[in-house]
Amino acid sequence: MTTTEPTAPPIETPPADRVTEEELARKARRAELTSRWFWRILSYIAVLAIWEFALLDIFSFLRGSPLDPKLLPGPSEVVATFFEIWGEGTMPAAFQATLTRIAVGFGLSFLIGAMIGILMQSKWFEGFFKDAVLISLSAPGLIWVLITAIIFGNRPLGPAIAIILTTFALVTVNVSEGIKALPKDLLDMAKSFQVSVFKRNRQIVIPHLAPYLFTGLRFGFSIAWKVTVLTEVFSSSEGIGFEMRISAVLFDMSEFLTWILAFFFFALFLEKVVLEAIERRYFRWRQAVTAT
Amino acid sequence: MAEIRIKNLHKEFGVGEDKVVALEDVNLDITGHSFVSIVGPSGCGKSTLLNILTGIETPTSGTVAITSDGHVAAPGYVFQAARLLPWRTVTDNLMFVQEDRSEDTRKRCQRYLEMVQLGDKGTKFPGELSGGMQQRVGIARAFSIEPDVLFMDEPFSHLDAITARALRRELHHMWDETKKMVVFVTHDVGEAVELSNRILVFAKGGRLEDDIQIDLPFPRDPADDEVAVAKAHVLRKFEELDLLAS
Ligand SMILES: Nc1ncnc2c1ncn2[C@@H]1O[C@H](COP(=O)(O)OP(=O)(O)OP(=O)(O)O)[C@@H](O)[C@H]1O
Ligand SMILES: [Mg+2]
Repeated sequence: MTTTEPTAPPIETPPADRVTEEELARKARRAELTSRWFWRILSYIAVLAIWEFALLDIFSFLRGSPLDPKLLPGPSEVVATFFEIWGEGTMPAAFQATLTRIAVGFGLSFLIGAMIGILMQSKWFEGFFKDAVLISLSAPGLIWVLITAIIFGNRPLGPAIAIILTTFALVTVNVSEGIKALPKDLLDMAKSFQVSVFKRNRQIVIPHLAPYLFTGLRFGFSIAWKVTVLTEVFSSSEGIGFEMRISAVLFDMSEFLTWILAFFFFALFLEKVVLEAIERRYFRWRQAVTAT
Repeated sequence: MAEIRIKNLHKEFGVGEDKVVALEDVNLDITGHSFVSIVGPSGCGKSTLLNILTGIETPTSGTVAITSDGHVAAPGYVFQAARLLPWRTVTDNLMFVQEDRSEDTRKRCQRYLEMVQLGDKGTKFPGELSGGMQQRVGIARAFSIEPDVLFMDEPFSHLDAITARALRRELHHMWDETKKMVVFVTHDVGEAVELSNRILVFAKGGRLEDDIQIDLPFPRDPADDEVAVAKAHVLRKFEELDLLAS
């Protein structure tokens, strides 16, 4: 404590220090990110290298075992097949078919799930939907895939219903939780400052719900992917899952793996690049909160 | 000139066994260029009274009216906690409560941020500021709409002594200059005596127990005899209430 009278209140940190401090923090973050990505990528390279290496001729004594190149083609062969299929133009078409199914099915599921989440704020509707939500959350997706495949065959409604049944509850649970946690103190604050209801919804309710919706979107989407491909394996005439079935039936392991790899990389791209970019862009304030 | 008229105000929360009486039969007029402090023990309904006056809560019975020159007065409210939107920057938090987004308004917001020594923090998110800094943003927000009546609920209790003193002076200066009305809740009798020309003492159960005028010139020095006497007087009131309660 000082006993002298200050002429101006103290400033927290001199601005000059502040800049270098931030610079240092940013550098540290970048270094940390680089090393994380390095190890991540290294894991892929390691697996691929071992896989390729095990199939070399020097291990020919293993022929007849599962490591036979005829049964399990190496990564280089799979990559070659990938470009072959890509050149034929079947890949974009298959992805388009699958993605359209996901977009329609999961779009509907998201709307329905959010609506039920809102309705469940009332005691009666909560009682009405509670068990349905629980069942959807806990039953394996395969059940719905099989049921819809039996009932709908290869009609487009099948996958959509399978997606809705497996994912709506994830959205419902998140929306419902978000609504329960609405920040009453902020809404009261806005009310006392006579901020319009429209502006309160737009600047308080929606930003508050956004992370909850995003979580529902993210988890729901990752399940919608798997379910869609599964429905295609069972009961479709186009799409990634269908192509997998065809290669399996034709016993073309190299093509089968190509489709799996393509599927895997696309999912990884969506998850790690697209969704994470959205998160960084729109939820920057959350990093600020966790930083302190 | 702003006017607050409170008639037979009664407020309870909950029903049956959970019923809590927060305010009981409060009658009160505050007019003109007053600086009114509300003091009283924790839970005596101080925040509830401000919430009713600012339209957040509705009375169980009775009426309140806040007018300024015949029209409905615009209140500014500084809360016990900062209540900032975590997803908006400091500047946008101030802009959120403005009526328009004009350049003049923006400049005014910046001016009040500078008043609370946060002129360079406009682009930060609240999560990047310390608790005391967040509280100061809340103060700047209430000032920035240049309200007819400024309601403050223990605004300085989370701040360090030096910052609190600087802001107390700034507040008083503004009150003097703009001739606005300030309604100020505090636990600190010294603070109340230093700042206000009227002190309302509330007791447990939400009853208005005492209404004390303090007609000493500003600025008031706590070391000054008359200020010390006034403070002792209010403290004695407190003790009497305590005795009554036990
Ligand atoms: N929303 C609410 N629901 C139920 N009870 C409430 C609510 N708000 C306040 N109360 C009750 O009303 C009484 C008065 O509360 P209030 O917050 O006005 O006290 P206060 O004088 O501001 O106390 P403090 O000095 O601790 O801030 C308390 O008993 C409190 O429990
Ligand atoms: Mg209070």
